[in-house]
Amino acid sequence: MQAPLIEFRQVSKFYGRGEATIRALDHVDLLISQGEFVSIMGPSGSGKSTCMNVIGGLDVPSSGEYLFQGMPTSGFDRTQLTLLRRHMLGFVFQGFNLLARTSAVENVELPLTYRGMDARERRTRAMAALEQVGLKGRENHTTQELSGGQQQRVAIARAIVTDPAVLLADEPTGNLDTRTSTEIMHLITRLNNERGITVIMVTHEEDIAAYGRRLLRFVDGRLTSDEVGRKEAEIVH
Amino acid sequence: MFIETAKLAWRAISRNILRSFLTVLGVVIGVAAVIAMVTIGNGTTAQVKTELQRLGTNTLFVRPGQWGPGRASTEAKRFDDKDVEAIRDQVSGLRAVAPINRGTATVVAGGQNHSTSAIGTTNDYLIAQDWDLVSGREFLPAEERGQAACIIGETLRKELFGSADPVGETIRVSNVSCPVVGLLAAKGQSGMGDDQDDTVLMPLKLHQRRIGGTTTISSIILSAHDGVSTSGVQSDVESLLRERRRIGIGREDDFSVNDMSQIASTMTGTTMLLTGLLGAVAAVSLLVGGIGIMNIMLVSVTERTREIGIRLAIGALENQVLMQFLVEAVMLSIFGGVTGILMGLLLAYGVVSVLGVPFVTSPSIIFVAFAFSAAIGMIFGYFPARRAAQLNPIEALRHE
Repeated sequence: MQAPLIEFRQVSKFYGRGEATIRALDHVDLLISQGEFVSIMGPSGSGKSTCMNVIGGLDVPSSGEYLFQGMPTSGFDRTQLTLLRRHMLGFVFQGFNLLARTSAVENVELPLTYRGMDARERRTRAMAALEQVGLKGRENHTTQELSGGQQQRVAIARAIVTDPAVLLADEPTGNLDTRTSTEIMHLITRLNNERGITVIMVTHEEDIAAYGRRLLRFVDGRLTSDEVGRKEAEIVH
Repeated sequence: MFIETAKLAWRAISRNILRSFLTVLGVVIGVAAVIAMVTIGNGTTAQVKTELQRLGTNTLFVRPGQWGPGRASTEAKRFDDKDVEAIRDQVSGLRAVAPINRGTATVVAGGQNHSTSAIGTTNDYLIAQDWDLVSGREFLPAEERGQAACIIGETLRKELFGSADPVGETIRVSNVSCPVVGLLAAKGQSGMGDDQDDTVLMPLKLHQRRIGGTTTISSIILSAHDGVSTSGVQSDVESLLRERRRIGIGREDDFSVNDMSQIASTMTGTTMLLTGLLGAVAAVSLLVGGIGIMNIMLVSVTERTREIGIRLAIGALENQVLMQFLVEAVMLSIFGGVTGILMGLLLAYGVVSVLGVPFVTSPSIIFVAFAFSAAIGMIFGYFPARRAAQLNPIEALRHE
């Protein structure tokens, strides 16, 4: 049997110590399989962002074990975590986080550059990724010349250009209006359906969370609800 | 990958070109100082060497007092005719013994006047200095005994007579009227930078009586025959003069006998002291420059915290971020170094043209300056670069 893509075994994350200890994650068990679309919800401070950071290798658990494709990550150093991000994960942030004064295509090329890919192949793949997110013809626009929705599309292109196993989206529509949010969510859903990319998305909006096929709710660092199969019909139209 | 990093660094530097320039100013000044100094020093040394070769090593200078930096020679007893005769009679191996008195005199001829160096000496001076006459003759015996006559240098001729032949004309040197009997071949500037052709030679006796108002002699130039050891001559002259000046055993000489190489090394010593001082200034300037680079790189890391966070999140290794900032710092300081090298050479060229010494560039010092500035970027850029590389990506991404 194939190991689950992501597995949490009693994962906890504490900040501070003594009386002031904050339990950002409190003994969480979690399994996520290849190809899922998981939404994570919860009030601020509930641990949803910490959960995301741990999955993304940006943060490490205080106790418990995080396994990626069945491989325990507890012994990983900074370099190994970076390599995990580089080869397996793609990030989309609320604030887009594109490099300023840099063209769309150069932003998308960035993760490939760190892999040491040669310039021509990089350009080809970045162009293909931009086409997939519907930004063909805007490759040379700099970040400032693009609208919020377009910037988020560039960010998604940057996340998928490396063919990651998982797309981690942290409030991807938080800075966008409703219409643009819908467009971005359709794009993410399409990537999940067509390319089989596992999507894990943090949001605090119910209707955005509804795009996911599975919904996790966090309260005070605990995983309190895990529902599957919500509203699937609506998403497919 | 390296080309990518270099491109990135160049973009960061050129994005704020004025700040980048101000950042490296310290390095520019330090490197320019070193390059200018060494180039000028090389030129002077080359000039002194040429002079030595031309004069030969068989010339000795005898002066009252100890000669060297910081030592006055005026208090020691001067020489007289008898000293000169004694040297001529008792020291063997000499081909010329030329007594010299120097003074400044205004020379007038045909409505033109010019202030020049008036030297009272004998025909031996021409031998000792290897100085040819292009026109006229040396002093006659009657003139050496005190009859008015003078031999003029090329610069003086130009000032007074233009391109005409001065031989046979009469000039006034101070208040002495004397016929020009000879014209010296042009020699150009000396190693110390003065014009050797701006001079008038007169018989010693005439100079003593009418210009100096004295019977003493201020210095003596000796020239040994080829193949004669100058150190032997030097010690002979020293013991003769000690005896004549009644200097007891164990007392220091109140005169000095030097050959050209000794004088040159004294000059070089002075130059080296100066070089050392300027070198210290340059070192401080480079240190300050390095700290300036470190400072601005730290500012840059803070400004770009978010960018660093993005890079780390999407898969940049610590080393790749470290390299990015290190290359930027090194590139900055190399720009400073190259600008400094060019400015230093330009400055040296200016100074050297004014001094009239040759422009001698030294590839090794240029290379050293270049390598040194790169090293400064590396040393002072390392700390900020490491700080960037070790940022926590989560916090860096949250940074506004």
